[in-house]
Order: sequence, then structure tokens, then C-alpha cells
Amino acid sequence: MSEFRKTVLHGRHVALGAKMVEFAGWEMPLQYPDGIVAEHLKTRRFAGLFDVSHMGRFIFRGAGAVAMLQHVLTNNAAALDVGQAQYTIILNERGGAIDDAYLYRFFEDEYLLVVNAANRQKDWDHLQAVRADFPQVEITDASDGVAMLSLQGPLSKEILAGVLESGSLPEPRRNALSLVTISGCRVLLARTGYTGEPLCFEMFLPREAAAAVWDLLVSGGASPVGLGARDTLRLEAGLPLYGHELGVDPEGREIPIFACPLAKTAVSFSPLKGEFIGRAALQRQHEEFKRILQHDPGPREVLPRLIMPIAVLGKAIARAGAKVLAAGGKEVVGYVTSGTMVPYWKTQGERLAAQLTGETALRAIGLAMVDSRLRAGRPIQVEVRGRAAEAVIVPFHLRSDAPPYARPVLHGALETKGPAAPPVPMLGKVHRLLDMAAEDTVWRQRECLNLIPSEMTPSPAVRLLSVMDPAFRYAEHKEVRAFYNAEIFYYQGTDFIEAVERMLEDELRAYLGCTQVETRVISGQMANTAVFSALVDCANLADRSTEPRRLRQVLNHPILRGGHLSAQPMGALGDFVARDPKTERPAVVPFPAMADNPYRTDAAACREILARYRPELIIFGKSMVLHPEPVGEIRAMVSELGLEAVLMYDMAHVLGLVGPHFQEPFKEGADVVTGSTHKTFFGTQRGLIAMNCRPEDERWTLWEAVRRRTFPGSVSNHHLGTLLGLLMAAYEMNHFRDEYQKQVLANARALAQALKHGGMNVAGDPALGYTQTHQVVVQVGYAKGPEAARRLEESNIIVNYQACPHEEGFTAAGALRLGVAEMTRFGMREADFGPVAEMIADVVLRGRSAKDPVKAFRRNFLDLKFCFTGREIEARLERLHHLI
Amino acid sequence: MVPEDLRYSKTHEWARFDAGANIVTMGITDFAIEQLGDIVFLELPKVGAQVTRETPLGVIESVKAAVDLFAPVMGEVVEINTPLADNLETLSRDPYGQGWMVRIRVAGAGALSGLLTPDEYRKHLEAEGRH
Repeated sequence: MSEFRKTVLHGRHVALGAKMVEFAGWEMPLQYPDGIVAEHLKTRRFAGLFDVSHMGRFIFRGAGAVAMLQHVLTNNAAALDVGQAQYTIILNERGGAIDDAYLYRFFEDEYLLVVNAANRQKDWDHLQAVRADFPQVEITDASDGVAMLSLQGPLSKEILAGVLESGSLPEPRRNALSLVTISGCRVLLARTGYTGEPLCFEMFLPREAAAAVWDLLVSGGASPVGLGARDTLRLEAGLPLYGHELGVDPEGREIPIFACPLAKTAVSFSPLKGEFIGRAALQRQHEEFKRILQHDPGPREVLPRLIMPIAVLGKAIARAGAKVLAAGGKEVVGYVTSGTMVPYWKTQGERLAAQLTGETALRAIGLAMVDSRLRAGRPIQVEVRGRAAEAVIVPFHLRSDAPPYARPVLHGALETKGPAAPPVPMLGKVHRLLDMAAEDTVWRQRECLNLIPSEMTPSPAVRLLSVMDPAFRYAEHKEVRAFYNAEIFYYQGTDFIEAVERMLEDELRAYLGCTQVETRVISGQMANTAVFSALVDCANLADRSTEPRRLRQVLNHPILRGGHLSAQPMGALGDFVARDPKTERPAVVPFPAMADNPYRTDAAACREILARYRPELIIFGKSMVLHPEPVGEIRAMVSELGLEAVLMYDMAHVLGLVGPHFQEPFKEGADVVTGSTHKTFFGTQRGLIAMNCRPEDERWTLWEAVRRRTFPGSVSNHHLGTLLGLLMAAYEMNHFRDEYQKQVLANARALAQALKHGGMNVAGDPALGYTQTHQVVVQVGYAKGPEAARRLEESNIIVNYQACPHEEGFTAAGALRLGVAEMTRFGMREADFGPVAEMIADVVLRGRSAKDPVKAFRRNFLDLKFCFTGREIEARLERLHHLI
Repeated sequence: MVPEDLRYSKTHEWARFDAGANIVTMGITDFAIEQLGDIVFLELPKVGAQVTRETPLGVIESVKAAVDLFAPVMGEVVEINTPLADNLETLSRDPYGQGWMVRIRVAGAGALSGLLTPDEYRKHLEAEGRH
């Protein structure tokens, strides 16, 4: 074996007792003494460390580097910002793959292309040939000077964080990059990998530093993993291997790029690519691929077969080359491209409570190139040693969307409906429902500490009014210009509700300090949707005949930094924001956060972003919020830069705090305010939209569009019951606001201090008392949020789990979000939050139950404050009650 | 490990002869198990099957490869170690005891002629460059 090449870590592998094999001309570890199965399992549960220095690493520099990359790769290299990476394919004229690869942009003027070891020479020769047309491009083969390691698995982040000397980990999403220092040398770090693990890191470092960094990671808890498990891991993740799912098949035929499941993510037809090698062939494949996705019965000329995951049901292992037959075994429909037996950890419990047990099992899975008319769920057979083994096409073997674990999805493990419940007479069901409603109300209203920041208990008056007569009526109305913009009602019997709406608008205008309020929207998200729709409407006022254009660029808070759903492309904003032609994704840019406080917007850094992106819409407001929004600062910058931006403040959570104790949005220069009327505001569950403009202002056009896109754009029936209740709530807000707002903010700080004092990890700026809102955010440990929230609920303390800015998503949530507004309304004051904090710490830190003390404690706070009570309105409430 | 009371085939199966019942119990050796690595699948013949030394009587698979199992003797399968397929760790734990695979009825002691003695098997392992 001495003629094979060795990576710089060869000695480490041998010293660890690895079984060495030849791979692509290199002597590499197939497995270490524990074996492939153990290495696979360790990666999925802890962290696996791979020496991937045998792969090729080419650096592109020079003017025209991007043009060449656009020409020779399938993906859109121009979409890469500094600090981003993308999967890509080096393709040939026929739409087949020369190799699959990853392109990294760690630096402004340098692109790093990582290719498979087996194709390194072939790729290099091809790139050099193409380079003849791009003479200004410099390509360096950095494969020998630069080593490459991969660290994958649920503990990988913790291990890596423990060895960083300077710099920080990349943003918690795939393809993000960062520069760090480990063991005294600079390491290029990428959140990429070949295992399907959501917590994944690949690193590029100088050859001389590889051994030291390897040792550091191993002593930090990483397990060395060889090529054997590298293959089982990528198979389970459904990732292609060149020579099996890409390139040339066993019969010597070229595998079309779109036959491979990951092609979609690697291919771009962006106009920014211009003409590129293989474009025409790839486009033909893409056309047919789209038809296949739509189950079009037409001919399959270009993609007669596609690669799909398969699960073997019988007792056999499907291996590469095995024939795949249609059920019944008559017709050959394809062949297995990769397959083996892979291990998995058995889990106990469901959904977020699912835990890995100590038990493992094996399953025979594979990837197969089969007739493109077949779909997941279709039974098939695999020919193994002359016999047909039952199998089935599955959509995937593994999911990476619930970090911190990659979760195997077992075929046939779907819930089957249990036996049907015995029939119950209708009156029995009715009784049960009424009893359950009563029990639930007693539990929440009398026995729990309700600390969910987006929730509030409305007063008895508000609640009663919400179910009085107008609750089930209609009162659609619209401005009619012929009548000097008077509201014309379409229904009869609407005098009362018409008056209520007018009074409500008056109260809300006074509360918000503005001239216009729209009250017909029935939720905060609907309010936001109506505003987005109005903005698009205004953008297209001059041209109603061609396709309306969408908003060109939006500045918002991303969801992981507390931004609300509605402001994300995946939420309401999605239908209204255009695609950025460069990135081919929604044109949304995030507010930057302070480096030392991810909950606080870095207002100063916004200037550069505003100048560069020139957003049409700026959306303030968050659902995880500890500070006021920098509306005033941004307004000043927008004016200075002469931008036509609309400043929208989705006040949602903080609507009940509007005023001198928190912030006054219109005074600071907001154009539009939206909000939920049921969080810190005392109302029923509705929304509102507000603007401060007059008919002679430029912004008036937007206001008219807001009205139109509310009705008839968003509502027909606008839920008159909760509208009536909201008016009472508005009276309460206007009457009690000063005392209430002061108490809420003081209580939040008191809770934060008390929790900190009790040993909990409270987020925010200590110098500011941790919070300037009604919320307190507490960190309980990476991915420990859901469990902590569940245990608190078992003790009658209701909070919700939340992902922090450095966490991948809600399944990996490491924080709890608490709000004091509701309990403030039940009369709690600063000192009362001391015992609350202690009970929370008892549950979360000491694992005890606090249910009985919580129930006892709550009994002191059963009467709602900041509302009209007792003798003031008792008789009138009685009367209403009797009328139901 | 190469137990003294067994006989061996060149393809790394072992055989234990019960003279009283004319039954040969077979399995695979330590060496074979170590070579395979993680054993993930085992297929044994059906009871009643007639086996010879040339035709495979089953399959044992690791993550990377499938390997045929051969009968070390000619005869009829009278018993198979069914639970073994679901407890493959037993193979590496106790390959010559609980890891037995198949029991074959033979005509007589002559059925074992041609199999290697422990010494011969050890030499065979060395000759193939392994130990």
C-alpha cells in the first residue's frame, strides 16, 4: 500500500488502529476499531470527526473568476455573498456531471471549490481547459497545503465552541461561514457537511495545524469516523455519491443531473449566469422534471428514471446493482444505486419529547434509479440473490429539520388510527364539552401563573360585551366618494355597531396619538397582510393592466432574532415581496443586531444597509422583544439618504405599552403602526392598523389602499362581537394606562432580577435591568427549552419555549420567554415576582414540582385590576349576563 | 482463537462432530468475524435442506459486503440457530458456542475428512498472510 498518497493525518489514523484501505489513490481509514456501525451511531448521537483532506481544493482568483465559475458550474456563483457557500456541480455539455462540488466564499475576492478526491485530476484538467477562455482567472491547487476536517453531530457545536480561541461560530444555518482561530492558527469554518446532521461543520486549515486541531477535537469528545460510516451516513441522508447517483451508471450511461434528488439545490438558470456549459441540455431536463413533479402523463424522453430512496421490508439487504422490479416481480423498473444496512438509535416518546434510548436497530435502505412515473409509497421488489425482496419507495430516510438531531424516519412507523371510540349520545358529548370548558377555565383563571407574553385576560365587561348581539351580525361598509367619503353600510340593523366603530376609532386615535385607525382587521397578522397588500397596491397604482410588481426590497427582523412570522417570506410577507434576481430568493435583508446583545438592533450599522439595499419597506417589531425599536434613528437615516421607504411598526406585543414609558411610534416617525389588541393591550383578539396622515399628505394614498385592502381585501364579516368588546378595552386602556404601563415595566425588571438572583441565566443587558418591555427571556440550555416549558406547565406555570438568536430553530430552542402583563393585571407587583422566580427555579434548576405552591400563590391574585369593577358596573353587567 | 476440539474449512467455517448422533454443528471462526467487521445480516438455510461443500448454504453480510457461507460437510440440515439472526452480537461474543449456525446430519465421521485440524488451520491463516 506504500504507493498510495497519505494525508497529513495518516499517522493519527494508524496510531488509532484504523483499518486502512485504498480510496482514489489515497490510503484512508475505512473504520477505526469500534467499527462502522458504532461510528455511524456516535455521529448521530454525539459527534463524528472525519479527515477529508484527500478531497481537492481549488482557489479561484482574479477578474473574471465569477464569470468562469458561472460558466463551468451549475449554480449561481454571483448569489454568494462573503460568508456563504453553495452546493454545485461541474457539468458537461450533455447535462451530466463531471463531479459534484461545493463552492465557498470566505473572502471578497477568492472562491474555494472543493471537489471529490476521485475526480480531482479530471476536474483540474477540465477547469484548466475552460480557463483558456478566461485568461485573467488564476486557479491554484491548494489541496496539499490546506487540510480539511469535518465535524458532524449534535455535540459538534459545543465541542467546537470549546476550542475556539477567537472569532465566532457561523450563523446557525447551513452554508454559513466564519473565520476563527483554533490552536493559534486561522481556520476557515463552514456549516456544511455530508451526513445530514443539522449541526455540521467543515474546516479548512493549514496542513501544519491539522494534527493539533484533530487532537483538540478528539479530546473535546469527537469520535474519529472513517470512510465506511461516511458512506452509511450520507446514504441515510439521501446524499449522492459520484459514480453512484451522479456521473456514469454501471452500464456506462450518463446519469442526467436532474435524476439526482439534490439537483434542484445545485442548479440555477439565473440570467446572471449567462450562457454556461450544458445549459441547453440542463434546461431540457428541467422542463421535463417540472412536468414530472406535476404528474404530467406525457413522454419521458430525457428523464425516464429518477433516483429515489427505497426501504427494504423483507429480510434482505439491497446493494448497488441489484435490479428493482415492479410489485409482482414482472417488470424491471430500475436498479439500486447505493444500499446497505444502516443503524439507528431507537427513540422513546413523541414529538418534542422524543428521546434517544440506549437501544439501536438496523434497517436496510437504499437509493435506486427507477421509472420516473413511480412515487413514494409505491411497493416494489428488489432482486437479491435470485429472490425478490419486498421493498417500497419512500420520500426520505432521514430529516434534518428538527435540530439538534438528524432524525431517522422509519417506513411504516406512521400512526395508525386506533380502534374507533364507542358511540356517545349527543347530549353526553355536550355535557362533556361544557364540563371541560369549565375545568379549563378554572385551571387557567384560578390555578395557573400565566406568563405567556402574548396573552392577556380581558375584563369581565369586555368578555361579556363580546358575546352580546352584534357578535353574530354583519356590518360591511365602504367609503363612497359620491357621498363625500361617507361610510355606506350594506346591511340593516347596524346603527349600534356603526356608533361603536366610530367610538372605537376615537378612543384608539387618542391612545395612539394619530389621525387614522382601521379596526376591521381581526388579527395582527391580518393587519400586516392588509398593509403589505396596500403597499403593493400603491406601487402599481399607475399601471393596473400588467402584472403587478411586488415590493423590491424589505428590511425586517429575521424570525430567529425574534421577528414575527408575518414579516417573514414564509409568513404573510411571502406573497408581497419580489425575488432578488441575484440570490433568487425573497428580497429581504435583516436588521443587524449588536454583537454583544443579539436582542438589540445595531442602529448605527443600519445606515450602510439602508444605503446599499434601499428598502421600500422597513418592518419594525418583534415577538421576542427586550428593547424599544430604533424608529427615530432609522427615520433620521431614511430622511438623510432620501429613501422612499415606508416605516411600519408591527407593535404586536407592545401595543399596550405605547406611551411615554416605552415609546411613541408616530412621534418617532413611523408611517404605519399595526398591532394585536390582545397582548399587552387589554382587548379581545383582533388587530388594528394606524397611520398619522391627512388627505392632503402624500401618504394618504397608502391609507386609502389600507382601507380597501382591509375591506373588501381581507374581511367580509369583521367579527362584530370582539369589536364591541374592544371598545370597552380601549376605554380601560385609556383610563388606566399610566399606572398599568409603569407597573408592567417595573414587574418585568423585578422578575428578571429575581430570576437572576435565583441562579437562572437571564438574557439582555444587565445595565438596563435586562428588559425594557413586558418580556423576560431566560436561557435554559441548548435544546432544553421544550422540556423546561413542559415541566413548568406540569407545575401550573405557563410560559413558552423560544429559540435564541444562535440556535437553529424551535426544536433546538434553548430559552423560555416570559411576559408579566397578564399577572400584572391580576394585581401582582414587583415584590410578588420574587416567589414566582423562586418557584420557576425550583422546577427548572432543581427538578421539583411547584404545582401546589403555585396554586396557593395564585389564590392571592384572582381579581382583575385596571378595569371597571364591582359597584361601578355590577348591575349593568348582570343585566347583560341575563340577556345571553 | 482456534479451539482444539474443532475442525476447519479453508473458507473459515468450523465443525464440531457429535459421534453419538452423527450431527455436525457449524459456525464461522473468530478470524472470519473479525474480517467481516460489523455483521448486519445473516441468512440461514431451511431445515431439511440438503447441503454439500460446494454450494453456499447461507449468507452473512457486513455493512460493506455479502459473503457466502459454505457447509463444511455434506448432509441434511436438521436444526438452525434461528434467534441468532436477531442477535448478531452473539457471533462476536461467542462464535464457537452460542454463535453456532447450523446442525447437519451426516453419514458418519468420514464426512469430516478433508477438513483442517486446528494446526493446519493456523498454518492456513499464516499462509494467507494473516494471523
